[in-house]
Amino acid sequence: MSWLGRLFARKRLENDLEKELRFHFESQVEEKMRSGIPQSEARRLTRLEFGDIDQIKEDCRGSRGTLWLEYLVQDIWFGLRQLRKSPGFTSIALLSLALGIGANTAIFTLVNAILLRPLPVQNPSELVLFGDGRAQGLTFSVPDGKWQLFSYSFFHDFRRLATSYAGIAAVNSTQFASKASIAGSAYQTTHVDFVSGSYFPVLGVPAFLGRTILESDDNAPGAGPVAVASYGWFQRHCNGDPSALGKTIRIQSHDYTLIGVARPGFSGVTVAQSTDLWIPLSMETEMSPGQNGLANKFYQSLQLIGRLKPDVKPAQASSETNLLFKQIMRDYLGPQPSQKHIEDIAHAGVELTPGSRGISPLRASFSLPLKILMTIVALVLLIACANIANMLLARGVARTREVAVRMALGASRGRVVFQLLIESALLSVSGAVAGLALAWKASILLLQMATPGPAPVPLNLTPDLPVLAFTLGLTVLTALLFGCLPALRATGIEFTPALKDGRGSSSVSARGALARSLIVGQIALSVLLLAVAGLFVRSLIHLTGIDTGFDKHNVLVFSLDSSTANLPHHSPDEIRSVHLQEQIESRVQAIPGVQSDSFAFFTFNQGSWSDLVLFQGVPRTPENADPVFFNNVGNGFFSTMGIPLLAGRTFTAQDTQNSPKVAVINESMARRFFPNGSAVGRRFAVGETPDHPGEIEVIGVVKDAKYNALDEGSLQAAYFPCTQNVGFYGSFAVRYASGANRREIIARVRNSIAEINPNILVDGVTGLDDQVNQSIATQSLIARLTSFFGFIAVFLACIGIYGLLSYSVARRTSELGIRLALGAQSRMLLWQVLRESLLLLIIGLAIGIPIALSSTRILKSLLYELSPLDPAAITTAVAAVVVMTLAAAWLPARSATKINPIQALRAE
Amino acid sequence: MSTADKFDLPQGTLDLLILRVVALGPIHGYAIAQRIQQMSREALQVQQGSLYPALHRLEYKKLLKATWKESETGREAKFYELTAVGRARLKTETENWSRLTDVVALILKGTLEGI
Repeated sequence: MSWLGRLFARKRLENDLEKELRFHFESQVEEKMRSGIPQSEARRLTRLEFGDIDQIKEDCRGSRGTLWLEYLVQDIWFGLRQLRKSPGFTSIALLSLALGIGANTAIFTLVNAILLRPLPVQNPSELVLFGDGRAQGLTFSVPDGKWQLFSYSFFHDFRRLATSYAGIAAVNSTQFASKASIAGSAYQTTHVDFVSGSYFPVLGVPAFLGRTILESDDNAPGAGPVAVASYGWFQRHCNGDPSALGKTIRIQSHDYTLIGVARPGFSGVTVAQSTDLWIPLSMETEMSPGQNGLANKFYQSLQLIGRLKPDVKPAQASSETNLLFKQIMRDYLGPQPSQKHIEDIAHAGVELTPGSRGISPLRASFSLPLKILMTIVALVLLIACANIANMLLARGVARTREVAVRMALGASRGRVVFQLLIESALLSVSGAVAGLALAWKASILLLQMATPGPAPVPLNLTPDLPVLAFTLGLTVLTALLFGCLPALRATGIEFTPALKDGRGSSSVSARGALARSLIVGQIALSVLLLAVAGLFVRSLIHLTGIDTGFDKHNVLVFSLDSSTANLPHHSPDEIRSVHLQEQIESRVQAIPGVQSDSFAFFTFNQGSWSDLVLFQGVPRTPENADPVFFNNVGNGFFSTMGIPLLAGRTFTAQDTQNSPKVAVINESMARRFFPNGSAVGRRFAVGETPDHPGEIEVIGVVKDAKYNALDEGSLQAAYFPCTQNVGFYGSFAVRYASGANRREIIARVRNSIAEINPNILVDGVTGLDDQVNQSIATQSLIARLTSFFGFIAVFLACIGIYGLLSYSVARRTSELGIRLALGAQSRMLLWQVLRESLLLLIIGLAIGIPIALSSTRILKSLLYELSPLDPAAITTAVAAVVVMTLAAAWLPARSATKINPIQALRAE
Repeated sequence: MSTADKFDLPQGTLDLLILRVVALGPIHGYAIAQRIQQMSREALQVQQGSLYPALHRLEYKKLLKATWKESETGREAKFYELTAVGRARLKTETENWSRLTDVVALILKGTLEGI
């Protein structure tokens, strides 16, 4: 019989044991009777010879090999009964554990997904990233400093020369979101990564179906009109049907053949960015027509990932890489580079970073906040543990008699400690189960709150092995943390007084000291957590109080997709796009309730485009050498955004493709270039050394408006009319009269666009105010979370203090009754009880405030215009802790004064 | 429970004795105790407190197997018998035991002569 079988056959085994021993007993009695002893005497003698029959049974059970399991089952049942007997304690403990473990698991789920999880590729630890993977986009600059983005030419030249790598893969740093149609079906938004032919082999990602992209697809521009689908996309759009291989996918009027599906689980090398299709880099010119992306040696838009040869150390690879990088770049600059370029290249370099976890722009921005949150939730869990330990201590005292009885009846100390720990484990396991369920939902919600947008960030947050292991470890740790001390304390009692007294007076003072220090710790941690929360909230208030420079109210921003509209690119015909925009603008303008509208390259926080400019007759000075941020806008842009004009004029219908080039600049730019005079009428051109100096005339100056972030400094900005920088710009801003029906306006704008061109698709609509809020979503989430956890911490500490004082008042009922009877004033008694908690509060503050002051420094980079020692935040935190602690102490203290002396004395 | 004229069994010896007694044929616990007492000419008296845990341990180790049968008095009793493993174990343990006693006797004798 297996031990499990024995466990279930326990009842029968128990009966058998009883029967067997009974048989022995009876046989022995009979034998004695045969030798002439009377029955009653025979029984008595036999019983004496047998000794402790229960002990024999216990020893037999022990030799069965299932005793530990029986104990465990017994203890679990006993534990459950005990917990059910005190529902108040159990529910508070469970709630705080579920919250504590849940919060830790939720944050860890994010930490794991964003910071820890390795790429699902072969030997990810051999991969290195060129640069830290934070840069995205396109730059034509000559490298200076740490370089992140590389050109296609560089990729090929470098790959040919480098010897440290088993292979190097290239991928476009920005993912293309474009409309695609499979075999003529409806267009759907598809995320496309352009990759080198080496991408799949270097990463070691095999095809699930068909084949992956090969070098031959990528050896000449236009060579590989093929696409590899991700497994997820293939399931969604082809229902996993293998016959879909070979079908044609149409993207931006080009056809690609579906040649394969990548292995399930692989969705690109960028964390929190999911790829639908991979297309060879050789096809990039088809997707970005008119841009000479493959041939231009300074069209730098690729991220490179190398796989080191097994015997090559990262340091070796790094020195070779930097040497080759400089050599190739010098070569690209031609025979006579400028002195500045030579210096730039001399300063430039490539930092190799570990690539096992892929490229993650999220990692950079969320790393510190996540670590801080992780610390905070860990502290909250610690406070919860302290609280439960405190409650268990109190229960331990209440159960002194029970424990003493059990030990007097022969239970070993280990056995009782084990039983008490089982109770703790029951609590923490139930708390963990609830917490895990909570965490799963919470981490998804947190991610949505941190990165708001129309589509959820594709990050797999299903609890995986590391998360489950983390939670399990946490559960065991918490059970030990809050269970151990009380269990040892409860069993370390002296028997006799405990049995005599029944109220455990002997262990009260010891318990009191432990309980008090736990509460001091709770108060200290609460101060720290609330101070952190206060800092984040104050920083958020500063952020939201920033003047954006534009009027964010009553503006809708439509994002439009023109990829299926077949608009001309880089041809003299391209002005049709602008005419189309103007048509939409005037049609929407006519909708009742619409005040003004305009297309724009960017509204706010939608990306950036910047370069240096040179004004005619103005030397470059340190003040004006910063890059200028550009925008292409329609004629109604400034009135739609509510950006006031300070001098000159804004764009009108007279500013056409063929009229002289004009620009509106912002106040900062005007002031930096012309500190003493007017900028209107002055001429400039874009670039470090422009080809057509002074081709653009400044016609107006507007007030500064935020460009990409609320906390950016005052940037120099220049606006150009769409007619002179032709193209179709996806953002369409509409200002409506306050009080107009927003929903109706949205519907009518959609209709107008569809009437003018049904192939212009509306991807989404947001309010400009929401766009502003979304730009500080992370900050506001952190502020909300830290406040939430801060108050949970104080609340738990208050429960602890309330519990301790109520208990001590209850124990001292008779003493207080006597005092009252002898004429003590109730105010005196109140003070006497409060004094105890005041002392704890003061010690807690004395420990907590220095800890808070010395540790908030690490938050500095996350705070906007706020010192990490901000007196307001810290004073508020201290005040909140003081008020809440005193409130918690007040209730039991007041009940002390309400004691009826007669009853108190009788009760004893 | 006087043990004045008896001595404690060395560790593990009880198991060997039980195996030996059970080897004679299916037998219940009470009879095992009596048989050991008789065979040792009343020198050994096995306490119930050590007999039954030992029986259960041997059963758990699959050296013994047990069946419920009617006893000589007509009541149901638990009869133990050796398994194949038990029989093999008895053989090796017996050999071990006699080797051990021979060696111990040899040494004790030698020591006495040397005094």
